[in-house]
Amino acid sequence: MHEASLVRALLRQVSELLVEHGGESVVLIRVEMGPLSGVERPLVEIAFAEQVDATVCRGAELRIEEVPLSAVCRDCGDEFDIERFRFLCPACDSGRVQVTGGEDFRLLDIEIRQTHEEPAARDMP
Amino acid sequence: MSETTKTIAVNRDVKAELRRQAEEMRQEFARKGTLIVNILSSPGAGKTALLEATAKHWGDSRKMAVLVGDLATDRDAQRLAPFCPVEQLTTGGACHLEIPLVKDGLAKLGRDDFDFLFIENVGNLVCPASHDLAEHLRVVLLSVTEGDDKPGKYPKMFRTSQAMLISKTDLLPHVPFSVSSAIDDARLIQPELSAFSVCSLTGEGIAEWCAYLERCRESLMARQSEPAAVP
Repeated sequence: MHEASLVRALLRQVSELLVEHGGESVVLIRVEMGPLSGVERPLVEIAFAEQVDATVCRGAELRIEEVPLSAVCRDCGDEFDIERFRFLCPACDSGRVQVTGGEDFRLLDIEIRQTHEEPAARDMP
Repeated sequence: MSETTKTIAVNRDVKAELRRQAEEMRQEFARKGTLIVNILSSPGAGKTALLEATAKHWGDSRKMAVLVGDLATDRDAQRLAPFCPVEQLTTGGACHLEIPLVKDGLAKLGRDDFDFLFIENVGNLVCPASHDLAEHLRVVLLSVTEGDDKPGKYPKMFRTSQAMLISKTDLLPHVPFSVSSAIDDARLIQPELSAFSVCSLTGEGIAEWCAYLERCRESLMARQSEPAAVP
């Protein structure tokens, strides 16, 4: 169960982005996972719920986008989704298959809330 | 004062920074001529026994070192210490090794002039598969007592490995395990997987395994001496 350490890393990265962009709080964190990401959705959700309140991301929603395992054949160039972990090209039966998606645990984007001075106030001497 | 929300696009793997560190270390050791081998399996499949047999086979003819990961104790390091430099990495409960722990272990070893650096991962067929430890070669051990149906059940582990060693082959007469079924199952997931059978206790297959490691190191070194590709 390494979801806890991955979620810790995720929250650290989001916290850094919040500070870097001068945000007040994090509204939404969007991540992507697939069949070979090596993480289980329920365990990520539990780890997130356990950890988020102790960080500057408290109150943020985690949205998980699930993507299929996609690949391209290095012999015939066919692009396809891999079903049941059978890494063979459906067009030419080659095993020289390059995975193109569904094996990472990616931070896609975050939505942050920022507080601004009223524009008029900036022109004041 | 007004409040607005803003979307910040990132689109980066959560482990991107660890992967970058691993890639840097992989290139550094390639230049030095050290082949880094990450050895993974479930607990008790024979990783330490394999490394003992490997060290005995080579004797003083090859310089090898081991970083060995466990949740607790230095039992594996004690077993390997008579044969080669070894450093125990204790994860304190974590189910896998990560690159910072590997770098700490290497610093404790105090030298890095090896032909082969083995990283014996925590026994676990799940989490260690997700972590790049700067290896040039990832090897998964499958002992015959575990059953020949395991590759399909742990796809990430077998997909991300370049070689599979079927271990404890001396027990084959006593267990219902088909070597060819295990290899076929693994190659559905990783068609380019190299496969070997070994028994560390009797030494069966150890010479072939060591020869394979030598070939991998030679090929790594040959890639280093190639002229840079013309853009």
